Amino acid sequence: MIEIQNLSFGYKKRKLLYKNLNLKLEAGSIYGLLGKNGAGKSTLLKNFIGLLFPKGGSISVNGFEPKKRWPSFLETIYFIPEEVYVPALTVEAYKNLFSPFYPSFNEQQFYSYLEQLDVHDKGKLNSLSFGQQKKFIIAFALACNTKVLLLDEPTNGLDIPSKIKFRKLIASVFTDDKLIFISTHQIRDLDNLIDRVIIVDNGELLLNASVGDISEKLCFKTVSELTRPDEILYSEESLKGFSIVTKNINAEESKVNLEHLFNAITEKPILAKAIFQN
Amino acid sequence: MQMFGFTGLIFLFILIVYYLMKTFVGFQAAQNLSFLWGLVGGDFILASFMFNYFSSTASGSSYLTLPVSNFEKWLCAIVISCILYPLIFMVFYRIMDAGFVAAYHNSLDPNDPYYKIRYDAVYLLSFTGNPARQFYPMFLIFSGMMLIGSLYFNKVALVKVALVICLFFFGIYGLNYLFARMMFSNIDDAFPFQHVAILVGKESGAVELPKNVHDPIWYFINFGLPAILFAVSFIRLREKEF
Repeated sequence: MIEIQNLSFGYKKRKLLYKNLNLKLEAGSIYGLLGKNGAGKSTLLKNFIGLLFPKGGSISVNGFEPKKRWPSFLETIYFIPEEVYVPALTVEAYKNLFSPFYPSFNEQQFYSYLEQLDVHDKGKLNSLSFGQQKKFIIAFALACNTKVLLLDEPTNGLDIPSKIKFRKLIASVFTDDKLIFISTHQIRDLDNLIDRVIIVDNGELLLNASVGDISEKLCFKTVSELTRPDEILYSEESLKGFSIVTKNINAEESKVNLEHLFNAITEKPILAKAIFQN
Repeated sequence: MQMFGFTGLIFLFILIVYYLMKTFVGFQAAQNLSFLWGLVGGDFILASFMFNYFSSTASGSSYLTLPVSNFEKWLCAIVISCILYPLIFMVFYRIMDAGFVAAYHNSLDPNDPYYKIRYDAVYLLSFTGNPARQFYPMFLIFSGMMLIGSLYFNKVALVKVALVICLFFFGIYGLNYLFARMMFSNIDDAFPFQHVAILVGKESGAVELPKNVHDPIWYFINFGLPAILFAVSFIRLREKEF
């Protein structure tokens, strides 16, 4: 559904943010793109939707070249940027104006999602709080039923109950013919939501694996003492000792901790790559 | 709504300009200046709203990702700024002009010996005669420049484009004057691509471009340049990254 071949991109010609990036994303998964601030997460999303153009290589989304921004392409993909824009319209007027551009838009779903996210029709949209505006756009985007949904830091500006509702909603609307791609640095917000993890750092793809794969190859546990430090990808002092991430040699079952995974992969990228290549 | 509001303000401004000019300078100056400002100036401001979405990341992204082709987005801007606005303005102008001219005619005394002369001195501004015809290419050029400018300058495009135009105009004017000074010592005035006025004693005479040079330049400025500007604005929108 999204295929990237040898992608090179940079805001300056001499300083490329991505160089020869290859990535294939299939429908039926919720991808979580994790990266530090300035790692190029939003840049990657903007390349997917055609807001930025690759300097080299190619991107194919739903069989289209995003750069051309054909309407037939744009109606199959919805991008929610970190900061959303809502015009001075009511919920009804917004729906009437913009929904015709999306052939699979479902009005019933739209109102149901608004209800679930606690967005109530209170006059013009631009008078709503930032969080409410964001929830409104999320509800609209989901009701558009596009094949690809790109979300850039979707939980920024949402309060804790709204974050939970957002996770529940995304999980409930997800179907096998869709691809949801969430970029965030607030890793905990994606817990129990994503089924594939992509980690980028310094313009390099460090990890692209399913949560199942990760729990199979890595072990997340708490130990009282640090033994064999060379086998530990990441360790952090905790109340009960040390929370560590190691290679899963003994096929132990453990719950993936996204925050620890991210730290492990970014701190020891070579070791992590070796583990996941096998 | 914002555009309607600004169009209303522009019309109000033009009404005031017309009234003040008519009162303190004269009818002809009022008609010409208000038409020039309304058509060229008003459209210049309005054109700056066409791609105003790029003033913020959120609205710019939303605009570019709306499932409408680049051509349709561009065409929408052209239709509003270069067809709808001038049409509405000209209707407004005709009503305003007719009102002022009728008021003037009604204020004249039919028994006045100069009644006929005074009556004939003021008529409606012709949209097909001079100087209105000279304003149309200006309107298209300024509109095209603003459309391109607002695609290059994401923030305060109106001010930035106005500055660029001023710099460009004064640059060309200065360069033209400099070249003319190098060739003639007694220059009175010089206007780019048009004439150089030379003082001979107390008289001033204009050296104009020969017809075979003037005509292609005239056609280029009137038709070619606006077409190029609009084409460039479309290409820029198509290539716009945000």
